[in-house]
Amino acid sequence: MDVRAILLVGAPVTEGERIADRPIATLDVLGRPVAYHLAEYLHASGVEQISTVASCERPTGFYRAADLGKTVNWIHSSEQELWRSCEHLFAEHAQDGAELLVVCRMGAYAELNLDALIQFHLDQQARITSVSDEEGPLGIFVISASRRNDAAFLFRRQLAEFRSAPAEFRFSGYVNRLKSAADLRRLTVDALYQRNAIKPVGKQVRPGVWVADGARIERGVRIVAPAFIGSRSKVRAAAVITRATALERHSQVDCGTVVEDSNILPFTYIGAGLDVSHAVVGEQRLAHLHRNVEVEVADPKLIATLSHSPSVRALKGMAALAKLVPAELVRGLFTRPRREQPVPEAIQEPAAAVDASAIPEEKRRKLVGSVSESATDFSSNLAVMRRYGNE
Amino acid sequence: METNNSEKSPKSRPVVVKRMPEHLNLVQARKFLKEIQPMLNSDRPQLVFDLSTVRQLDAAGVDMLLHCMSEAMKRDGDVKLAGLSAQAAVILEMTRTDRLFEIYETSTDAARSFSFFLPNTMRQTGTMPTQASPAQGAQQAA
Repeated sequence: MDVRAILLVGAPVTEGERIADRPIATLDVLGRPVAYHLAEYLHASGVEQISTVASCERPTGFYRAADLGKTVNWIHSSEQELWRSCEHLFAEHAQDGAELLVVCRMGAYAELNLDALIQFHLDQQARITSVSDEEGPLGIFVISASRRNDAAFLFRRQLAEFRSAPAEFRFSGYVNRLKSAADLRRLTVDALYQRNAIKPVGKQVRPGVWVADGARIERGVRIVAPAFIGSRSKVRAAAVITRATALERHSQVDCGTVVEDSNILPFTYIGAGLDVSHAVVGEQRLAHLHRNVEVEVADPKLIATLSHSPSVRALKGMAALAKLVPAELVRGLFTRPRREQPVPEAIQEPAAAVDASAIPEEKRRKLVGSVSESATDFSSNLAVMRRYGNE
Repeated sequence: METNNSEKSPKSRPVVVKRMPEHLNLVQARKFLKEIQPMLNSDRPQLVFDLSTVRQLDAAGVDMLLHCMSEAMKRDGDVKLAGLSAQAAVILEMTRTDRLFEIYETSTDAARSFSFFLPNTMRQTGTMPTQASPAQGAQQAA
């Protein structure tokens, strides 16, 4: 049977389904956009052709899995033309010989049992079958390709009304409605704990830790499983990645930063010495899950968006290095180490409670001398240790 | 930005409540620091920063808050934060500075907290301000 699928991404909604002004379905989870994870799942279930109609551009720097790329066709359309594009696409597939079309508005990520759904649709001899769970409709439909008018009616009413009553398929498998940042986070955690079919794009270097191609993890980094480090991402020295954190491709975590229970979206830079927890971070925005708030962070020292162009990123890195070397040289030459600064007189003097006249002059000089000498014994480059968790 | 000095008794030390600007970037932080410098230079300064209107806080703003705290502590005073907006709370948490400050729901609570640890004898004899006096001042500011 020729079954094809249409995924709708970025359809206008009244609230939610967006983070940093981008549809959640286009955001990466463990190396791939959510829409592609669903496409991959449908592909594995036997759907040969999958088209994605989206109100946004195809995600840049897309992963290199060309096998899926061939089957997924990305069609960019404006928000006004989105439904009309779907209608046209449906007609094209019908003319091309498709028998059934699965239409998913993302929206929800649902791991459908496609065989059971198609069998139900055929048994019911339905024109359209609508999939729902205990919370209500999921925005997933199976439409017979011969029912073009029903499909056109459905698309023109933005999947909200039917020409004739549809068959209702009750779904009880894994579903995530992806309405908020918390849902995206839950999807990631579920994937890392293997509660759904999403597979991290990377190699499992030790149990529960996946690292993708080209990721750079410096010495002294602590990664607590489960965790995902995306392709070409960088984790600088003394950083801590813990509690099911996912660093997506080309992201950077600077020295000493702790990232806990968070999703770091692609091309995001997290500054040094920070504590990012319970958040989805990207596009210079931070969605805090516990506070249920999305905050814009304008300071590039804290959170920045890296350029999508590799050459621009390389140039910026070189410029930063060129700026750092002379600055460090000047600092090394002209800055006095802190410990060489004179010790305040108050420290050198004996305490007021001590009767200074009672101390012999020789002993007093020795005492004061030892304070000032020992003060300069320490180098200015004292190591600083920070305790974290059980370290 | 609003300032209020609550002076109820000649011997009491005022609690100054300052509302912080909406955007606390480098320029605004410098401006704000210049404004409060006289208060920081006073003996045992007691400052409450109201961050309820803060919409954008960056590293320079956090640096300024830390500078104020260190200056106040040098003079045996303290800086407390009140009414943190979501934005400010997130940035302070991210930069690990939230644990360095005492943070209160409202500036009234923050102002009141300054008199919590006075010796009981002083409270009873009335030589020092009662618990309510700084708070009243803060209420006026709000």
